[in-house]
Amino acid sequence: MSIRLQLLIVALTTLVLPWAGCQYARELETALRDSQEKSLLASAGTIANALSAQPQRVFRDPDDTARFDAARGDLYVFPLHSQPLLDGYRDDWGVAADPAPMPTATGYGARIQAGATERYLYFYVEVDDPHFEPEPSDVHPERDRFDRIDVTLQRPDGTRQYYFFGTDAPGLIAAQSIVNGGDGRDHAVEEPRIQAFWLETSAGYHIEARIPSSFVGSRLWVQAQDGRGGEKAGVDASGEPEGGRLFFTTAGLDELLGTFVRAGTRATVVDANALKLGVAGNLGTSLPGETAPATESWYRRFMTVDTPGYPLQSSAPGRLDTRSVSAALAGQSHAQWLRSAAGQELLLTAAAPLSVDGQTRGAVFLEQAGDQLLGLRDRAVTRLLNLTLLATAASVIVMLGFATWISLRIGRLRDAADTAVGSDGRIRLSMPESGSADEIGALARGFERLLARLNEHTQYLRTLGGKLSHELRTPLTIVRSSLDNLESEGLPDGQLLYVNRAREGTQRLQSILSALGAAARVEESIKQAEIVNFDLRDLLTSAVAAYRDGFAPARFALEAPPDPCFVRGAPDLLAQMLDKLIENAVDFCPTGGTITVRLERAQGSYVLGVQNDGPPIPPALHGRLFESLFEQRQGRDDKPHFGLGLYIVRLIAEFHGGTAVAANRPDGGGAIFTISLPLI
Amino acid sequence: MGYDSRMKKHIAIVEDEPALRENYSAALARHGYLIKTYGNRRTAMQAFQIRLPDLAIIDISLEDEAEGGFDLCRDLRALSAGLPIIFLTARDSELDAVSGLRLGADDFLTKDVSLPHLAARVAALFRRIDALRRPDNAAEIVRRGALIIDGEKMQTTWNGAPVILSLTEFWIVHALARNPGHVKNRQQLMDAANVVLDDNTITSHIKRMRRKFQQIDSKFDAIQTVYGMGYRWVE
Repeated sequence: MSIRLQLLIVALTTLVLPWAGCQYARELETALRDSQEKSLLASAGTIANALSAQPQRVFRDPDDTARFDAARGDLYVFPLHSQPLLDGYRDDWGVAADPAPMPTATGYGARIQAGATERYLYFYVEVDDPHFEPEPSDVHPERDRFDRIDVTLQRPDGTRQYYFFGTDAPGLIAAQSIVNGGDGRDHAVEEPRIQAFWLETSAGYHIEARIPSSFVGSRLWVQAQDGRGGEKAGVDASGEPEGGRLFFTTAGLDELLGTFVRAGTRATVVDANALKLGVAGNLGTSLPGETAPATESWYRRFMTVDTPGYPLQSSAPGRLDTRSVSAALAGQSHAQWLRSAAGQELLLTAAAPLSVDGQTRGAVFLEQAGDQLLGLRDRAVTRLLNLTLLATAASVIVMLGFATWISLRIGRLRDAADTAVGSDGRIRLSMPESGSADEIGALARGFERLLARLNEHTQYLRTLGGKLSHELRTPLTIVRSSLDNLESEGLPDGQLLYVNRAREGTQRLQSILSALGAAARVEESIKQAEIVNFDLRDLLTSAVAAYRDGFAPARFALEAPPDPCFVRGAPDLLAQMLDKLIENAVDFCPTGGTITVRLERAQGSYVLGVQNDGPPIPPALHGRLFESLFEQRQGRDDKPHFGLGLYIVRLIAEFHGGTAVAANRPDGGGAIFTISLPLI
Repeated sequence: MGYDSRMKKHIAIVEDEPALRENYSAALARHGYLIKTYGNRRTAMQAFQIRLPDLAIIDISLEDEAEGGFDLCRDLRALSAGLPIIFLTARDSELDAVSGLRLGADDFLTKDVSLPHLAARVAALFRRIDALRRPDNAAEIVRRGALIIDGEKMQTTWNGAPVILSLTEFWIVHALARNPGHVKNRQQLMDAANVVLDDNTITSHIKRMRRKFQQIDSKFDAIQTVYGMGYRWVE
């Protein structure tokens, strides 16, 4: 893994910043919610306390503690804010809740809803009875069978009055009551002050009825009867004398509540049955002067306070049966977050018990939009995330740049280290970056010290041959001159034999020393060489002729251009170079093989090739053959080899501005040593 | 040897290696010379100022003076222009040879030379000096065009002008010119000159000889290189 990648990964750890930001924002939000809950709970408690001091303004009848029971026909009366039109539809009531099913023993489907304005009590019944049974003329409700709605009204004075609605044709009708007529018979008499609209539908019929408030006490029994089957829904006064209770909102409570609520908060007071007694305020969407963000911030995808776990906001406008209300009615303040069914808006609700004389008689329920909090948080988090992501990006870029710089420097150092020892065995002593004060600089300086020592060592080795050759010469001369003297003393033949052997030994020593010092001498000659223009072809021709004699039985072939090839250089040195190449070729050329000397004119240079039929050069030796003191041949003859021959070749080739290269012949039949010399 | 004690030649050997000094001394004494040996330049110079030897054999590096021999040669040459001087050294670089010969040495031998060869060299130098002192006797004269070699006096002239050659060079020219057109390889030339030299030194000798002839005649090209083989004299 490259340093760049490593540092990039390190830089990516700064992504922990936005993550931490998210965590922080989440905690912040949780804390904000907590405090919002607390403050809302406190508000609810305050309002509840204030209201409990004046129960007569909260409850229509402060002493009434009746329980609401829909099975007994109890009805909640929704407050209507405008006078609805009697048309059989309740669309203009402005009540979100659906009509409630009426209790039935026979499965007769009917639903009822009640509402009230200041002047009238309305009720609306829809009956699932597609077969319409009209009211006969001269009707008597106990005798005649027809589709009808029975209504028993308890008046404010406590008396009860029975009415029924029936018609022979849909439309606006009046309630009828039974009156004992002058003829001793019961007659149905219309009560024109109680009106209704009978509307036929495909599923049955609707009836929207209106009763003046002055007629209405605290109970109303409503029952729908089928004209043919005798099926019923609802309750009547004889079956449920305690049923049919009407639960009204408290007049004036809305205004009273309105003095307590703040903007963006809705307060609802419920009674012990969780039925609304009054509502005030409405849920503003956000703080004044602020617009909600058009789109939800994308960060929300990564960080949410788990709102999906929140219960859905219940849509029961008449009755509040949320958990917080239940808790409050049980005497405990409680706050709860709700989720709107449609969108993502959050709603904070809090309920506080409303106690009168130590008894929980109801609850104050406050609702507040939660999204103003979200807006605040989103803005804070967005800013935080933008900043931290910017910081991360900046640090990644800086790290990447830094890593690139570091790896460039290391790369330079590595390249320099790779090429510090050149193919010619020369050692470059200076490394890049060695001037830097950091660790890379220290590394470069370490390299330099290493190379300096290596260079000293190499220099020592390189000059060792010359030095040895020089230093051993004097003792060798002593030995030889002593032998000369010994011989001159006139030795007997027996001793002369040993003297001669000793002399042969010294001669061999002599040739070894001479070979050892060869490179040093060539370097010396190069310094003194005279440069002339001469015909290389001529040199090769005479030299190859000489080699034919000198190295028999090895065979030589010369391939050269027909015309003279003038080069600029030292012919003696080039001849010496050729000698070394030929000696080398002869050593490796099998008996009977041919050594080919080829001179070609190439682009910008003459190419001199010496090839033999010997074994190919092992791959490991490529590029090293021309190094000083490099010797890999297995002993094949008695001549001493110090790895200087090809080194001398290279010295001479380079002196002439050329190069020396060793390669295997393409046919694999031997090696070819190529010297290129520049044209004049 | 045809010298009596009165006529015995004095040879000074200046060599810092005692064993070698004694070996040379013994070998030359056997040939009838009077030998004085010195280990360093100072003692040698002191002795030379009192009495000059007939011939001096000098090592180049003397004790702590790496080039003490050269200095000694210069001083000695100042004392006597005609005194034969032979450099005998373990050094074999061309530069040393050139320096030595430029300082006026008559010959430059490496220590590879055998004692008999050394003795022959010494004898040849004396012979040259003796011959120079005697009136001309036209024996052993080799003439090749403009070249005249007097084998007796070991003198060479080109177009009548003397060419000052060292002893080694003289014998190389002699060997080449005696058989013009014949290629002499390096070994043959070494044998002729009674020296053991490596190829480089032969080459540098040839180069120097050519230059000496060219100083007289810039068109001189009688010594030809036959690459891989050796050299020949062409007329």
